[in-house]
Amino acid sequence: MKLAPVDYIILATYFAMVLGIGWMLRKKVSTSGDFLLSGRAVPVWITSLAFIAANLGAQELIGMAASGAKYGIMTAHFYWVGAIPAMVFMGLFMMPFYYGSKARSVPEYLKMRFDEKTRGFNAFTFAVMTIFSSGISMYALGLLLHLVLGWNFSTSVLATAVIVLAYTYLGGLTSAIYNEVLQFFLIVAGFAPLAILSCAKAGGWHGIVSRLDANMTHSWSHMGSASQNPMGVELFGMMAGLGFVLSFGYWCTNFLVVQRAMAADSMSAARRTPLIGAIPKMFLPFVVILPGIAAVALAQMVGPGGVHLYEIPLKLGTNVKDYDQVLTTLMAKFYPAGILGVGLTGLMASFMSGMAGNVTAFNTVFTYDIYQSYIRKGAPDRHYLTVGRMTTIVGVALSIGAAYLAQYYNNIMDLLQFVFGFVNAPLFATFLLGMFWKRATANGAFFGLVTGTVAAALTWGLTVAEGKGGVFGQVHTFPSVMAQNFWIAIVAFTSCFLVTVLVSMVTRVRKESELEGLVYGLTKIPHDENARWFERPVVLAVFVLVVAVILNIWFA
Amino acid sequence: MDLRVPSGWFFTLLGVILVVMGLIAPGYRLAALTDVNVNLYSGVAMLIFGLFLLLMARRAASKSR
Repeated sequence: MKLAPVDYIILATYFAMVLGIGWMLRKKVSTSGDFLLSGRAVPVWITSLAFIAANLGAQELIGMAASGAKYGIMTAHFYWVGAIPAMVFMGLFMMPFYYGSKARSVPEYLKMRFDEKTRGFNAFTFAVMTIFSSGISMYALGLLLHLVLGWNFSTSVLATAVIVLAYTYLGGLTSAIYNEVLQFFLIVAGFAPLAILSCAKAGGWHGIVSRLDANMTHSWSHMGSASQNPMGVELFGMMAGLGFVLSFGYWCTNFLVVQRAMAADSMSAARRTPLIGAIPKMFLPFVVILPGIAAVALAQMVGPGGVHLYEIPLKLGTNVKDYDQVLTTLMAKFYPAGILGVGLTGLMASFMSGMAGNVTAFNTVFTYDIYQSYIRKGAPDRHYLTVGRMTTIVGVALSIGAAYLAQYYNNIMDLLQFVFGFVNAPLFATFLLGMFWKRATANGAFFGLVTGTVAAALTWGLTVAEGKGGVFGQVHTFPSVMAQNFWIAIVAFTSCFLVTVLVSMVTRVRKESELEGLVYGLTKIPHDENARWFERPVVLAVFVLVVAVILNIWFA
Repeated sequence: MDLRVPSGWFFTLLGVILVVMGLIAPGYRLAALTDVNVNLYSGVAMLIFGLFLLLMARRAASKSR
């Protein structure tokens, strides 16, 4: 892929733009709350788009097109099953406790509801996880830019990291959130034309359906047993593992996304954030997954001269298909200079929004939940603002370090990424019990969380999938890594849930007066009687769920 | 700061660049598998989106005054 001068102009304009937004927002920052929490003053349409953009990192973008080519329309389960219901639950039922408790972070809620050790456990794992995810995502982008454009790995990683650092340092969370919205627009502008062009070339959806195996173009019809569908997952594993544990664990307890909703300017806006965000989220598969599916159809079509229109690239020197390159090779095939610049800028934008999301979540958790709790309590706010700013620099530096680590120890990173996939799974059981069962105790939560995490690690170590795993022995073999991941999540959730309940039954309960605003039944849930009908969370939730069901049936 | 202003300008500018590319640079109109003027059409769409954001920002500003 070769870039023309106009593509560089577009890329440069975008870089100037994000820095400009950071520069304009720098005066808004005078307290640590402004810097780390946006002073809870961001309009709802902005928090909603940032809520989904923070998750739409480069890895997600590249990965969804790759999965589209590998698994077909079943990939949309990650949206229509693995995100929408959880986002609705978050807005309707969990946001009143997060926003109403005045907690500044997810770990801080755990401290208010349970105790210090539960917070410490969560804050520490979360901080480590964000740094590594940010680093792995940097590595993925650096590698890709090197492969398709021949750009130097270090130059692209360092240059983008410096830009992200500059605008988050200047304007804090507000700057990250504002830029995430711009990035979201740009991702859609840069990739929607690719979806339309590739789909049209393959003869529209009907053309794709007629060329591919039925299990690539139907999301539900081939879920009866794991051997029938390309993902190698059966119905129960999919529904319980992805649809319940993993998705609720991610969208309801991961501070990276929860932080965006917490920045909203009112309780009502905070509750509507995931609900409004769910609307564009439902249609993202058509932008990010469809090109991957169309690519498989194009690879079967023969053009003039008997040449295949497109071929899925192979890993260097092997016969293994490298699905991660599908998105960029399609861009090269379909985009002339100009729109190519927009597409590439969209890719950079997704990378930056993912990284800024991780860095801003990291600096808040570090400053409030680690530094202010364990290192220096009771200092003036000015001090914590400085710490927040310094942590931003350290966070970016550590992510760069993690990116280089990923470059040298590829396998370790695969493993870590896999582990992070289920770290949130037991946490959702803790939150579910913490928010909806006032009998749940601090010791119950802590031991449940530890047991859940250990159970996840054990399940991973005792099972084999696609020839990997089984470090401690081989008790069971899964048909695919995906199925293994879903089942690890199910085991982690169940064991955390059971242990939390059991330990809670034998330990002392906290007084009800201490739990006001933190638990269901002891918290006033706002009903927004004065809100216009379309501003009511329940109305939005019903609308979102109905559309999600229609989409599921349409592509069943 | 109203985010619609900077992003509105950004997409307007992007739209103008792409429309110009689509109109005056015939060699840049096509790619291997593309037989429509994708720069022109996406440029027009981005231009409309950018102007829409600017219009919304203006309406909000005049309302609050």
